[in-house]
Amino acid sequence: MAGESESRIPTGPAISWPSVLVVFLLLAAASYGALIKAPEEATMGLIQRIFYFHVSSAWSGFISFILVFIGSIAYLRTRDLKWDWLSVAAAEVGVAFFTVVLVTGPIWAKPVWGIWWTWDARLTSSFLLWVLFVSYLILRTLVDEPERRAMVSAVFGIFAALDIPLVYFSIWWFRTQHPQPVIGNGGSLDGRMWRVLLLCWAATLGVMALLIRIRYRLEAMRMEVDALRLEASRSSR
Amino acid sequence: MKNMNYLVAAYIAIWAIFCVYLISVARRMASLQDDIRRLKEGGK
Amino acid sequence: MNLMHSTATILAKELRTEFRSRELLGTTVVFVLIVIVLFSFTFNPTSSESRRFGPGLLWLAFLFAGSLMLQPSFLREQTNDTLAALRLAPIDPFSILAGKMAANFLFLLLVELILLPVFAVLYNIAIFPILAPLVLVLALGTVGLATTGTVFSAVAAQARLRELLLPLLLLPVLAPVLIASTEATVGLLRDPSELSLVWLTFLTSFDVVFLTAAWLFGEYLLEE
Repeated sequence: MAGESESRIPTGPAISWPSVLVVFLLLAAASYGALIKAPEEATMGLIQRIFYFHVSSAWSGFISFILVFIGSIAYLRTRDLKWDWLSVAAAEVGVAFFTVVLVTGPIWAKPVWGIWWTWDARLTSSFLLWVLFVSYLILRTLVDEPERRAMVSAVFGIFAALDIPLVYFSIWWFRTQHPQPVIGNGGSLDGRMWRVLLLCWAATLGVMALLIRIRYRLEAMRMEVDALRLEASRSSR
Repeated sequence: MKNMNYLVAAYIAIWAIFCVYLISVARRMASLQDDIRRLKEGGK
Repeated sequence: MNLMHSTATILAKELRTEFRSRELLGTTVVFVLIVIVLFSFTFNPTSSESRRFGPGLLWLAFLFAGSLMLQPSFLREQTNDTLAALRLAPIDPFSILAGKMAANFLFLLLVELILLPVFAVLYNIAIFPILAPLVLVLALGTVGLATTGTVFSAVAAQARLRELLLPLLLLPVLAPVLIASTEATVGLLRDPSELSLVWLTFLTSFDVVFLTAAWLFGEYLLEE
């Protein structure tokens, strides 16, 4: 019994120093790019520089939620709990990224439009996605038994992920019918802006990967603690 | 330096959000590591 | 027993159970009425505004009612553990889910149809000229509500705080249905009335996506 659970729970450090270094360098480069190298936008002034991390966070959060989808399906197919660990890690990290989107969006809107929130399509969709996966996380806290929790979360996770394109389209089409000020860069990006944006996205993907790995390890440790507690209660009889 | 304050606020917010998350994960991890050590020692 | 047949049998059982008591139907109808009346206090329900706000409030009321009345779908099975008995029957497990989805759909549609004339009277909206397309929109939206609602009711049945959990899970997922159904209804109430193909197609896609998802993954919820 002990050997079985130990072989499934990963040991050693959750993340390696080289990977942290790489991500740190990416972040440094991306910040330099966003804050200094990128051309200043004509109308919005300095605040436009938040665009790079605002959009990158949304893209990375989106990728995180796709990972929840993949993990959920994989769990239902294989019943291997490590897919559940991936799902919860990706969900939490995704929520963190969308929190960034929801906080930086209004900070961007206020100086540009004079109001904090305009119910613009992308931000409203982000809000709904945030709520959706917070519900996923709340669901998880309400089921105690690990396999049952993994199973119900997987089903809800799949439904929530499938909802994502439907949310985006319905809100986008609604906004097309009822236009409002758009929080965003509006026009097209020039080449330099694209390069900085992609660099920032690479940096946030790196952060996403590190955070998911750490959170994954946390979940594995929870299982180890449960297994040890079970053993302890058995041997004390 | 138009809208400098907002830019600073936004970047601080980003760092704050990730730091809070990282700290919360690190604390939970430390507490679990304690539990693991305690349970393993208890067994011996 | 093939899928159609077993689904129909479960559907019949569900309907019989509900109509034997009838309390759920009455309570749900009254609840939606309360929501409609309360909503009307939040704005001036004169004719012009009611056309803009009315449909949204109606659909919101339906969603709230749905998320409350879908609870008993699986809770009923838990009291006597009848779900285990159902699972032992030689039927495709999906038919249990499908039967419940169909029953919930019919039930919710009935509630909506009962409330439609009431809503028309309260907000001075002429629904007879647009009755057929309106019922179509109602039906498509309700399929989405019943499908996801039944699946999530099975999810919530396995958790704590299930009365609060079901709306928490259901309402965000159904936001696209709310938008689409409301917009389609608003279009119908315009003068001249227009039936939005975009929203209809969208609602149909929503239903297809989630019916398929329920078919592929719903059975896992019935296990153990």
